[in-house]
Amino acid sequence: MQSKDEIAKWVIEIVSREFGIDAGALHLDTRLAEDLDLDSIDAIDMAVRIEEKCRVVLGGADLQSIETLQDVVDFIHERI
Amino acid sequence: MPALAAGAAARASRPRARGEPRREATRWSQVAERGSLWGMRITAGCYRWLGPRACELLVHAIVAYFYLTDRRGRRASLAYLRRIYATPEGRDALGRPPGRWQSFLHYREFALSISDRIGIWFGRAGDFEFEMVGEEHLDRIAEQGRGAILIGAHLGSFDALRLLAERKRSRVNALMFTANAERINALFRELSPDVDARVIEVDPESIDSVFAIRECLRRGELVAILGDRVEPAEQHRSLSTPLLGAPVKLPQAPFLLAALLDCPVLLILALRERSGRYAVFAEKLAERVSLPRHEREQRIAELVADYARRLEAYCARYPYQWFNFFDYWEDAAR
Repeated sequence: MQSKDEIAKWVIEIVSREFGIDAGALHLDTRLAEDLDLDSIDAIDMAVRIEEKCRVVLGGADLQSIETLQDVVDFIHERI
Repeated sequence: MPALAAGAAARASRPRARGEPRREATRWSQVAERGSLWGMRITAGCYRWLGPRACELLVHAIVAYFYLTDRRGRRASLAYLRRIYATPEGRDALGRPPGRWQSFLHYREFALSISDRIGIWFGRAGDFEFEMVGEEHLDRIAEQGRGAILIGAHLGSFDALRLLAERKRSRVNALMFTANAERINALFRELSPDVDARVIEVDPESIDSVFAIRECLRRGELVAILGDRVEPAEQHRSLSTPLLGAPVKLPQAPFLLAALLDCPVLLILALRERSGRYAVFAEKLAERVSLPRHEREQRIAELVADYARRLEAYCARYPYQWFNFFDYWEDAAR
């Protein structure tokens, strides 16, 4: 998983599967808090999955600057 | 599709009740935190300047005042004691049907607990006998160098966990719904600099606390959470389970965190046996919390129900040490 497209596909798949959201309803500009209403447990859930899959540590401070799924993709791509 | 619309569609397809308006603050959180930071400072000052005996008398006077003036609290106390009396163990412990006298004893136990906690804040561990039941669970975790989540309750003394931190030479981090965590930590450091216990502030509007918990667990520390009340913003993360004959809502978050952060979960309760003597009970709730997707809800319901069953047993054994002086069951039914 190297390219942004591959990362984006995986991020949408994991959000869809773990949080029970129809993948067709997810877009890269979907906002995590406002649109998906993800809470702190969801945030740590996502951080753990990203760490397991990509070996990228996502901390609380990092999440402060992440608003959309595209931001998640960019974050992983920059650090992978 | 615009992001907001996508989100709305997403919410509509979700199995959990996301996006629903969150309930207004429940009764317990509306009850003003009477033990504010100033209250702690005044009481600590009283203990320091007037001595333990005078401080104990003062605390008794304050609690007696609340007993006389807090009608809603008295009613809640009596309702709880009646639930206790309805169990065979509780009937044995109370000895007679609960009335005003038993309710007063309930309040008095709260006063004794406050007196003790001040001594504990001052790090006067030598003043307390401290029997540990289930210590092997904590020892094994320490040997493995793992962190663990300790789930307590408003039953007995949560502050007595500071004695545990001192005895086990391990850091205990207590989660508290307070905006004063840093100042409370500073006060504790000032009163008992040798005890490695600190408070993590839980802000429902922030994700910081769960990441702070992750860091503590990764360092092999203990994280203590009170598991008997649901914070208003966490209503969607609660579930209903029987406790003392009627359903109550309890939080799922401690178990979800244990599953995500791969750590054991222990029940921990420090209960007052008599003056200056505490029994600290540690019971293993789960060595590892596994939540396979297809049975996640059932598994988490089993874990919460197990916690409630054990809590119920300790309530019956130590009936006067339940410090939820509000309509606990009525709140859960709303």
